[in-house]
Amino acid sequence: MSSVTIRIAAANGDGVESSGALLIKVATRNGFQVFGYRGYQSIIRGGHVWYQIRLSDGKLHSHGDGIDILIALNQDAIKNQKSHLNDNAVVIYDPSKTNVTELDSNRYRLTPIPLLDIAVKQSGDPIMRNVAAIGAALGFIGIDIKVFDDVIRKMFGRKGDKVVNDNINVATAGYNSPGVTKAFDIKGDGKQRYSMDGNSAFAFGAYTSGCKFYAAYPMTPASGILQWFAQHQDKGVLFKQTEDEIAAINMAIGAASAGVRAMCGTSGGGFSLMVEGLGLAGMLEVPLVVAESQRTGPSTGLPTKTEQADLLFVMHSSQGEFPRIVMAPRSVEECFYVGKEALNLAERYQCPVVVMLDLFLSEHVESVDGFDFDSIGIDRGKVAAPNPNGGRFKRYELSADGISPRSFPGMPGLEFVSPSDEHNEYGDLVSDALSGIDEHVEMRRKMHSKRMSKIDTMLMNEKCFFPEVSNEGADHFLMTFGSTAQPATEAIGMLNEAGLNVGLITFKYLMPLDQEKTKQILSGKKIIDVECNYTAQLAYVVKANTGMDITDRILKYDGEAITPGEIAMQAADIIKKQK
Amino acid sequence: MVTEIKQVKQVLTSGIKPIWCAGCGDFGVQAALVKALTDLGIDRSNVVLVSGIGCSSAMPHPFSTYGVHSLHGRLLPVASGLKLANDDLTVIGTGGDGDGYGIGVGHLIHTARRNIDMTYIVMNNEIYGLTTGQASPTSFIGAKTKSTPFGDIENPLNPIALALSAGATYVARAFSGDPMHMAEMIKNGIQHKGFAIIDVFSPCVTFNNVNTYDWYRPRVYKLEQAGHDSSDISKAMEKALETDKTKWEKIPIGLFYKTQKPVYSEMDITLKNGPLIKQPDPDKTKINSILEEYL
Ligand SMILES: Cc1ncc(C[n+]2csc(CCOP(=O)(O)OP(=O)(O)O)c2C)c(N)n1
Ligand code: SF4
Ligand SMILES: [Mg+2]
Repeated sequence: MSSVTIRIAAANGDGVESSGALLIKVATRNGFQVFGYRGYQSIIRGGHVWYQIRLSDGKLHSHGDGIDILIALNQDAIKNQKSHLNDNAVVIYDPSKTNVTELDSNRYRLTPIPLLDIAVKQSGDPIMRNVAAIGAALGFIGIDIKVFDDVIRKMFGRKGDKVVNDNINVATAGYNSPGVTKAFDIKGDGKQRYSMDGNSAFAFGAYTSGCKFYAAYPMTPASGILQWFAQHQDKGVLFKQTEDEIAAINMAIGAASAGVRAMCGTSGGGFSLMVEGLGLAGMLEVPLVVAESQRTGPSTGLPTKTEQADLLFVMHSSQGEFPRIVMAPRSVEECFYVGKEALNLAERYQCPVVVMLDLFLSEHVESVDGFDFDSIGIDRGKVAAPNPNGGRFKRYELSADGISPRSFPGMPGLEFVSPSDEHNEYGDLVSDALSGIDEHVEMRRKMHSKRMSKIDTMLMNEKCFFPEVSNEGADHFLMTFGSTAQPATEAIGMLNEAGLNVGLITFKYLMPLDQEKTKQILSGKKIIDVECNYTAQLAYVVKANTGMDITDRILKYDGEAITPGEIAMQAADIIKKQK
Repeated sequence: MVTEIKQVKQVLTSGIKPIWCAGCGDFGVQAALVKALTDLGIDRSNVVLVSGIGCSSAMPHPFSTYGVHSLHGRLLPVASGLKLANDDLTVIGTGGDGDGYGIGVGHLIHTARRNIDMTYIVMNNEIYGLTTGQASPTSFIGAKTKSTPFGDIENPLNPIALALSAGATYVARAFSGDPMHMAEMIKNGIQHKGFAIIDVFSPCVTFNNVNTYDWYRPRVYKLEQAGHDSSDISKAMEKALETDKTKWEKIPIGLFYKTQKPVYSEMDITLKNGPLIKQPDPDKTKINSILEEYL
């Protein structure tokens, strides 16, 4: 498999994001597999932003380590990106705006192109210089400019002929610039694919499984889910922007209580506000899916950077005890299926399910072959049949498996009050005036045990709450969870190429864990823990569940997404010592 | 919500006894709510009483309707979620002044401006009852409570003025000492299409020895009998602020304001197609048209 990595770097407002999106469309249309990741800041103009797009003739798991083509739209781009350039990298720049004296012309293929001139001459609009640069990049990769034509017509057709023609003329002039020739030996397979980010895949997956209600307050990097639902409101799903995250989770609980599939989502800061509501869903036994897309640090942190440091917080958030499921999808494609699965698990076990994403997974774009819409059906769990002439309904019946049939307002004969206080089988309180009286002490014990016993039922029925292993016979293993599984997968490839036999252990489910099975899987293996946080939270979870201490660790917490090269290099060092 | 009067014959009590102290104003509210629901004859399986936490928030339990006894201050978002998910339901919020004007006051403003079609009854006793007598946002300046032993120094919040300025389309006040009048206010609130709030003076006989039945009785008068024009928001606001002028010597109860504005479910693009719960899951055509966006 070969790949080419392009990075467009400029200031906010220079159109980096739209150029990146355009390049991804063109490359996908040309049958390349793509992986795109943005580096940006919480400002609207200025600063330094970049979009890295990697194209390949095989499945990609990361945006790559170094840069093969740099589109430097300003001087900062040279300064900030030069340390990331691979040898022989093509550097596209405009000599009227940018000087490249700090770059070694023997080491890099410096390609001056009058981008601004082209833009102004062909379209009259200086901002179009990034399109001229895209045209040149297509020339270096060897993508037919005709594909660009098609994509532009599809993307901008509605905006009228001038926009379409301007784009095509500018890109073509860039493509035909002197010095631009095919420089990489790579070819797409011509197969049609979709390009999507993790937020969209998660939202889309949930939608296809009948999610009818999404409530949220905007917060990066979860806002993409909010925008997805906002944009698709006309397709049978209600989106509600709320006054805060407290309202978001409580509205979703209200909607779920009424019997529709409901979700809410946020990042760590908003999740902090949702915590009391999470416990409410646990107590009321209301099915609820919460997406938590992590960013860097406590409080406001680095709003536009990634991390995996909310794991223990999410697992232990809220006072008291109640069953919950914590999942962490490991790729964009898996986000789609987790969107479906989380809703089923929530309704089957009548408990909150938290889906842990992070900025890297939420916002990076991947090409996917397509989705199997039927592989995961819709399971609404136990629902009682209307019973107009029966006695009072035991909504919280002490059932053997801990799951009691639900009813929804509107169903005759199944009325009950759903209480956040501890309660008996009918939902009557055993708190306040009644607490401490023997029979109610006994009821608290029984009701709490009933709820908690759902964990045993999950473990028994689902047979999925343990890590997955690839290359069981390997000498060493990388162990990780969620989004880091992707760069780790690619790192394994690098290590194997270097003659080391390394396997991968990944956690998609983090809570609950089948302790026996997890221990059995991990036992006897030389393991390196890889995660994006300071305290090795996954290793902590593993120790708590199995007693095993994974002390070899690769930890990253600078906010940038971990890359395969970083993992492979550090892993190789550790492996030497592990021998 | 505009309800057809079907007069369903039904037992509205669950048999659960309320936890309140003898003489608590909340009994008056319970009686008024039973009367309003009985008069309207709404099928109990379509009624959801949603409460927060507080003495007053125990309200749903003695009823045989559906209910959610949610978190302190969060009854409005939970109630909104229920109503947005199933527009056929009659959703009634029942909570306290601490619940709705203290910890949950942000939700009050936003639920009112959304004009979600539901009724919200606030049992305002100017005290935190369940936590045994601390100051509430409506406690008077000088009120001596467990948390203000030297007297409350914060200005009391004016719930009527707040609800009016937030855009509530039905704003009324009642008094537990007059449950028949309160039942009318609640009934009209339920029948009103839009967000209806009824602030109820519901004396706490255990922890508030200032705002008692005997204190209220000579002071309250009915707006209906005072020639108030409840369609005029400036007049409503004037009446809302009257207690400032009269230093609570005269207290208007009754309907302050009522207007007709489009309700949330008429405006929302999804709900225009009917109650969410009745809408089908997306079919292959819809799903594929979305997938196309990613080509
Ligand atoms: C988040 C949270 N904070 C505090 C409490 C404790 N608490 C319970 S009820 C209450 C105040 C109740 O006052 P009000 O809403 O006026 O109801 P009342 O008892 O007077 O009817 C408080 C502070 C709680 N349950 N939850
Ligand atoms: S403490 Fe006050 S509010 Fe609570 S039940 Fe007793 S009288 Fe009613
Ligand atoms: Mg109170």
